[in-house]
Amino acid sequence: MESKVGLVKAEPDGTRIKEHLASALDLIGFKPKNSVNSVVIKPNLCYYWDAATGYTTDPKVVGGLIDLLREQYGADIDIKIVEADASAMQTRYAFPVLGYTKLAAEKDVALLNLSEDAVEEREIVVNRRKLSFKVPQTLLESDLFVNVPKLKVMRVTHITCGLKNIFGAIALPKKFTYHPFLAEAIVGMNKLVHPHLTLVDGLVALGRFPVRLGLVLASEDTFSVDWVAAQIMGYKPLSIKFLKLAVREGLGDPKNVAVVGEKIETFREDFPRENNLSFRLKWRLQFALLRAYRKVSGDVVPPVLEDI
Amino acid sequence: MIRVGVIGLGNMGRLHLANCLKMDDVDVVAVADPSKRALKRAGNLGVNRLYVDYKELLNHPRDLDAVVISVPNFLHFETIQSFLENGVNVFTEKPMAITVQQCEEIVKSARNTGRKVMVGHCMRFVDAIEKMKATLDRGCIGSLEVATIEEVVNGPFSHPAVPKPVADWWFDPEKSGGGVLMDIGYHMIDLFRFFAQEDSKVMFSSLSYKFNLPVEEGAIVLLSTVKSSIKGTINVGWYQRTVFPKYNFRVILHGNSGYLSSDELVPKNLYTHAAKEGLKNIARRLTGRKIRPLSYTYYYEAFYRELQIFFDCVKNDLEPPVSALDGLKTVQLIEEAYALFKNRGANEHGK
Repeated sequence: MESKVGLVKAEPDGTRIKEHLASALDLIGFKPKNSVNSVVIKPNLCYYWDAATGYTTDPKVVGGLIDLLREQYGADIDIKIVEADASAMQTRYAFPVLGYTKLAAEKDVALLNLSEDAVEEREIVVNRRKLSFKVPQTLLESDLFVNVPKLKVMRVTHITCGLKNIFGAIALPKKFTYHPFLAEAIVGMNKLVHPHLTLVDGLVALGRFPVRLGLVLASEDTFSVDWVAAQIMGYKPLSIKFLKLAVREGLGDPKNVAVVGEKIETFREDFPRENNLSFRLKWRLQFALLRAYRKVSGDVVPPVLEDI
Repeated sequence: MIRVGVIGLGNMGRLHLANCLKMDDVDVVAVADPSKRALKRAGNLGVNRLYVDYKELLNHPRDLDAVVISVPNFLHFETIQSFLENGVNVFTEKPMAITVQQCEEIVKSARNTGRKVMVGHCMRFVDAIEKMKATLDRGCIGSLEVATIEEVVNGPFSHPAVPKPVADWWFDPEKSGGGVLMDIGYHMIDLFRFFAQEDSKVMFSSLSYKFNLPVEEGAIVLLSTVKSSIKGTINVGWYQRTVFPKYNFRVILHGNSGYLSSDELVPKNLYTHAAKEGLKNIARRLTGRKIRPLSYTYYYEAFYRELQIFFDCVKNDLEPPVSALDGLKTVQLIEEAYALFKNRGANEHGK
């Protein structure tokens, strides 16, 4: 079955975002299967860095989505913006710092910390590894679950977009415990939790540096979104470990991915590609040298670096 | 040998402990921290007496010549007072305390007990700052007219290399004493006082609350000295994503015969600096000489130097270069800046 990924050119400052989101949904022909009374929106609020840095989902995108959903499904639908605590990020601070507390008040929607939600303990086997997750119930119970990730590179996984944003919804704050088998954990969580729609905030994307890319991506299939996002960011999708594993685990099929709307190249040209190899080498080298230096010289290491 | 207790083993406390352990004439006799993990680490470094509560140390005040205090801001006052009252010299992290009233009490206690108090105004001991002060004092740029001092970084929002959440007290003004102005602004205001060497007052202050937290994430303060009208502009922020080795800090001193900029005095490339200094320390170690702790980090070396100076003052009965009065005057200016902003807000809203 064909899995459409819609690419829409948008103003990077969020002007007319509702129209652009509507265009993206039209492109993929999105129609919810059931009636919509409750909506859950999961942006990517991985840390306290503003949307202009390219790290976190722009509240303007979520605001435009809320307006669009109300237009389509009624003003009285129940909408929740959700995020879970992360290893270093606390949702109770991320919501105000990143403008979501203000947005929630303006749009009269609820904010929910998924780490405080009721959870279901789920187990799944990925790549012959048994994994267990605390899955927030809210994600499993809504009529419409919209995943609103950011388009960006990341040292550990190369890229982070739709699939990784679902990993971020695990209720357990200390997600770094999954890092030794991160690809398996990303695929595992996405086998358990299926957003009905993924809308990518690529207004400001993050490569080697942040760039005002002015892109909105939409798809009903999270895997397909990431397959296209990887190409926009200059990667061969199969070079991304979790995408390769997703294919092997049957989470998605590249043959079904169909790009509609703008062309991938339009955005790829403007995306500041990160040379991941040199980035990772430099990162590892500096800490390896520091460890060696400490051993040889007996010098003090600042506490922020002592556990590395 | 100075017998030292290290109180609080968070990031700053662990740094101070590591520095103390590198000093020849310092014996760390005890540490105190509620975290058992932190105490275990200190034990592994060779500290024998480990306390969950610093008050247990007060039962044996004669075992100590000095303490190094690095507890959360709201605990500074009672911790400093407890040790002063028991006749122990105190080095404390900044701010000395979170209100002017508390600072005044500490100044009084220091005077009454005759004990030494030094506050960790570490920026004064950064190599570039020391050079600027020496150049200014030699008259090379004439009389100081204006100092622009700024540091815009990520503050408590800096993503740690090993992830852990920010402690809640940072965002509670009752416990932190304020936001970026109390945190980074404290150092910048102290630097202005250090260069101007005169009593100052606040002419203007503007605070930013775009993070929608109870404390400010940005602050701009205009200072003026009372006697010579030397002006200082202070610009501080927690809002900029900063990744090592970038460090957005600078001081520019404008005199009537020239100017000085810290940008021209700090290493152009911190990696090259680290490599050079690291190799020098390895050579020192291999030839049996003493290393220069933290010189490879450039900025962190100031923490070692300030402690060393404090212990020298204790040992030789000298006045510390940063006194309790300096701690008080800095907090006074911060309180003035907060009050000025608050009052202006009230006036602008017609209250």
